[in-house]
Amino acid sequence: MPAGAVRPGGTARGLRRVPGSAPEARQEEPKKKVRRRKKHYKLISLGEGLDMPLLVFVMVLLAIGLVMLFSASYAESYYRQNDSYYFILRQGGFAAFGVAAMLFISTVDYHYYHKGKMTLIVAGGTVLLLALTLIMGTSADEATRWLEFGPVRLQPSEVAKFAIILLFADFVSRWEDKMDTFTYGVLPFGLVLALFAGLVMAEHHLSGTLIIGMLGMMMMFVGGTRLRWLGLILLCAGVVVYLYMNRGGEDSEAYQMSRIEVWLNPFEENDETWQTRQSLYAIGSGGVFGVGLGQSRQKYMYLPKPQNDFIFAIVCEELGLVGAMVIMILFALLVWRGVHIALNAKDTFGKMLGLGLTFQIGLQAALNICVVTNTVPNTGISLPFFSYGGTALLMLLGEMGILLNISRSANVEKT
Amino acid sequence: MAKGTSEKIRRKAITLMCALLVAGFGAAAISLVHWQLIKGEELSAKAMEQSLRSTGLPAMRGTIYDATGTKVLAQSASVWTVVLEPHYLAENENLRRTVANGLSEILELDVQDLYERTGVAGSYYDVIARKVETEVRDRINKFMSDNKIGSGIRLIPDYKRYYPYGTVASNILGFTGSDNSGLEGLEAYYEEELSGSAGRLIAAKNAFGTDMPFEYEQIVEAENGYDLVLTIDETVQSVLEKYLAEGIEKFKIKNGAVAVMMDVDTGGILGLATHPNYDPNDPFTILDENLLKEIEAMPDGEERDEAKSDARYTQWRNKAVSDLYYPGSVYKMCTGSMGIEEGVISEDSLYTCTGSEKIEGMKDAIHCWNHGGHGTTTFREGLCNSCNPWFMHIAGLLDVDLFCRYREAFGFVDRTGIDLPGEAQSLLHSKENMGEVELKIEAFGQNFSITPIQMITASAAVANGGYLVRPHVVDRIVDEDGNIVKNADRSYRRQVVSEETSAILCDILRQNVASGTARGGYVSGYRICGKTGTSEKVDKHNQDLLEDPNARMTYIASYCGFAPAEDPKYALLVFFDEPDDLENGGYTAGNAIAGPIFSAIMQELLPYLGVEVKYDDDEYNEHRDTAAPSVVGMTVKEAVAAMREAGLEYDIEGSGEDEEDWDRYSITEQIPEGGTTVPQNGKVVLFTTGYNVNDVMVEVPDLFQEEMINAVYIAAEHDLQVTINGSRDDDAVVMMQGIPAGEKVKKGTVITLTFGSKVNTDIYTPE
Repeated sequence: MPAGAVRPGGTARGLRRVPGSAPEARQEEPKKKVRRRKKHYKLISLGEGLDMPLLVFVMVLLAIGLVMLFSASYAESYYRQNDSYYFILRQGGFAAFGVAAMLFISTVDYHYYHKGKMTLIVAGGTVLLLALTLIMGTSADEATRWLEFGPVRLQPSEVAKFAIILLFADFVSRWEDKMDTFTYGVLPFGLVLALFAGLVMAEHHLSGTLIIGMLGMMMMFVGGTRLRWLGLILLCAGVVVYLYMNRGGEDSEAYQMSRIEVWLNPFEENDETWQTRQSLYAIGSGGVFGVGLGQSRQKYMYLPKPQNDFIFAIVCEELGLVGAMVIMILFALLVWRGVHIALNAKDTFGKMLGLGLTFQIGLQAALNICVVTNTVPNTGISLPFFSYGGTALLMLLGEMGILLNISRSANVEKT
Repeated sequence: MAKGTSEKIRRKAITLMCALLVAGFGAAAISLVHWQLIKGEELSAKAMEQSLRSTGLPAMRGTIYDATGTKVLAQSASVWTVVLEPHYLAENENLRRTVANGLSEILELDVQDLYERTGVAGSYYDVIARKVETEVRDRINKFMSDNKIGSGIRLIPDYKRYYPYGTVASNILGFTGSDNSGLEGLEAYYEEELSGSAGRLIAAKNAFGTDMPFEYEQIVEAENGYDLVLTIDETVQSVLEKYLAEGIEKFKIKNGAVAVMMDVDTGGILGLATHPNYDPNDPFTILDENLLKEIEAMPDGEERDEAKSDARYTQWRNKAVSDLYYPGSVYKMCTGSMGIEEGVISEDSLYTCTGSEKIEGMKDAIHCWNHGGHGTTTFREGLCNSCNPWFMHIAGLLDVDLFCRYREAFGFVDRTGIDLPGEAQSLLHSKENMGEVELKIEAFGQNFSITPIQMITASAAVANGGYLVRPHVVDRIVDEDGNIVKNADRSYRRQVVSEETSAILCDILRQNVASGTARGGYVSGYRICGKTGTSEKVDKHNQDLLEDPNARMTYIASYCGFAPAEDPKYALLVFFDEPDDLENGGYTAGNAIAGPIFSAIMQELLPYLGVEVKYDDDEYNEHRDTAAPSVVGMTVKEAVAAMREAGLEYDIEGSGEDEEDWDRYSITEQIPEGGTTVPQNGKVVLFTTGYNVNDVMVEVPDLFQEEMINAVYIAAEHDLQVTINGSRDDDAVVMMQGIPAGEKVKKGTVITLTFGSKVNTDIYTPE
């Protein structure tokens, strides 16, 4: 671990280095280093070295997300669950727990995930979970995505996204000099990607597959895999997806294919276009300044499951173009800050891990908003910090914890 | 970590980030601008369109009040229409079962039928019950919340019409159909005023179709209908109906009856009773027993359905407005007015009646009811005798032209314009077609058809100084806040005859009631003007003769008069269509049938209407009742003195019978009460303390059909007194008694007996 992992002289709030106190702090430094070296996590002051902008962006997005979730889910939750607070209470609980987890994880040195067999355990565990999901998972619609352990409901594809980021960061950091070779720069990545994406695809979880695939490719690109290989993999993936969609006989084929038709003709009045159509009605109703917080009409059973993937449509309706833009800017700032933190990490693993986590959020947010606005066909991607979903939120906040931890050790000028 | 790698990563990462932000968020942002700014209004309109449902808000129909302004004759109350929205139920088997079972229990509908109706996907509107009460709605709401049914059943507000007085004034009020629009009577005539205008609620609905708490809610308020305040007084109306029913029962009336009371100065109808009638709360049930019997006797089938439908129309019909009849001798008051007004006769003019008169061009002579002839009489006597030749004589003097002008002036040609639907057009001989025969027969009220409402309006003109008023039943139309929207037109249409002529006629008609042929309508204590009429239904008889050579003539017995004679205020026309003389003891005459009913009605209503009883000398009437002085609270001595002064006999019941005790006791009660009628030669029973209740209570005997001498005797035997209304002819018998037989009353109680005579003073064809 580099010496700079814990910033010398960081105050309890980690806000500003006070020049006068620096020498004093430096004196204590060696002792701490010795004592803490063997531990991969240590209870440090929470604010110490933490990147405040990132934390602020996360917390602001989470706060807005919860408010909008409450607004969007209110009617649905009243009519379906007979309790207006059903979704917000559950999500609020996850959020509170998630923020605590994030802060805790931000104190855990990210190298811990890199050391020993940790990466392998995560990878193996994820494969196991994905396989288990296929065998004994819970279905919604026609996709099988969840594993239930009593009251706990886990979506392994969320875990898989993290596993890919972790694995690829590990790979890149191991073989950073040989990334331009096929043996190291393509083969292991391709195999892992094929395995994970294949398992998720087998769940009929198209969005998960797409995210995993795109994330993997992005990391490979950044890691140094040659573009021609990436092009080839892209081609292969395209062929596989095309074949998957065209395999005859099953209902799912029509399900996936019709998304393209819906995308092209969103206003044709039939059951398939309903969600997209209602989403666009909601967005259109918003105008520049929106109909006002809580005033959405489309959430009253018109837009199906407004608390899930299409929550952004309700955001657009209630807060208008201005509100939507503000949220998109917040996401962009988050991405920018994430990339900034990652690039300032001291080692390649940290860089790749931070970039992967950041890109995941950016990718999901961009894709989700594109889906909601019918810019791309509907794939079913949730909006980070906004959409209802316990596992996703916990994973997301946990990942932000890792990013925050990277920030602690990164050469980021703290504000 | 090589520096080169780090730099490569940085470059690529920033490239990727930029690509992601530009491609992802940029595209999304462009989309947003496209949808929200460019297509915003269009999409917003579509969203509105799907989420806004426009619901009709029914306007509350106006209330109908009687003349007192406090009694509600017709009123609307909230009810609910239960609508099924099967689309939201169709897919859920359990839900369908629950809904079908629950609703069938609450609304008493067939379970299987309901179950099937819940299964129609795509249907959002299926009315399963209309006009359910609020209590039932509450049960449905409870059922829905108990079973957590959020959608699929809708309750739509509506109104139902109630008629708190049931059959009272039904033929005036009419009724409304299931769509709340007026179908008969005032409800139909004043449909526009009563109905108001329906509003609309444009509200946001969620995709389940139930209301959502969203600000966009635009209400076009329903404008409730205006209220009607009638000239009809519920008390008057009920009294008219009561006696009409009694008359129909007693005299076996086959074809219905009418009683109309009018304010002669304004034309306001105080009461208008017709029979048969119905309950507007349930207008399709036939109430008249005769009609019902006829229908029940028929075999099932088309004919029976037709008869049933006919019977319904008959009972809904307002006979006073929609039916035509020959006015008969009642019309003589008009013919007489014409003669006096034109100066062709005076009340003292003389004419000799020989019992019949031959008219050129007519095979049979026209008879006076008195075949022996009335001899030479004045016009005054002629009218009091109801002498037909006298009026034929007047018509002859007037000739066709004048007669027709007056006929029109009295309002017999045009409809009266009363504010009730279905007013019939009178049938008269046109001036061109009127020869001597037609003229002279019309002169005494035969062979032309008018409505009862035309007749009473004309009689009001005779009574009120010659002014033809506009009959109406709605006094004013008021809005919700009580502001008057419209007042009835109380002005008169024209002056038909002069006030002098009117005064002469009134005086003659008063004598007619006091001592003439219209004594059937006499009411002790009041001076009443009246004229009897017995219309011969000649046209019907002629038709009957074609089928049956032995067919009997049928009659309409009527009586038209007004009171008080010194300043007529209220006119009353009573008519009974086809009394069954074979069943009722041989009564057909207006004086016998309509007279006593008229008398009983006036007896009960004149005090209510504030017309004072006066027992002064009456130059036309040898019969004189007096009013009892009020002595309650006086000592016996004072009371006795008062009785002696009034020239009345008295009895003392209880302590103080002996003269020496007269100072010690005082009067606690008297019968008849102070100010009420003591019959001629009657007495007042004075009660002090200490009398035995059982000793002074007597049972009223049944005096129906008793001759006058017997009736008086029987009453005296029971320690009761009688006051005599109606006819005083030799053959007169008791037609009505004021207190029903069997009732227990105190000694000395005065029973009003109304007498009727069989003598038909109105007919002109030989019987």
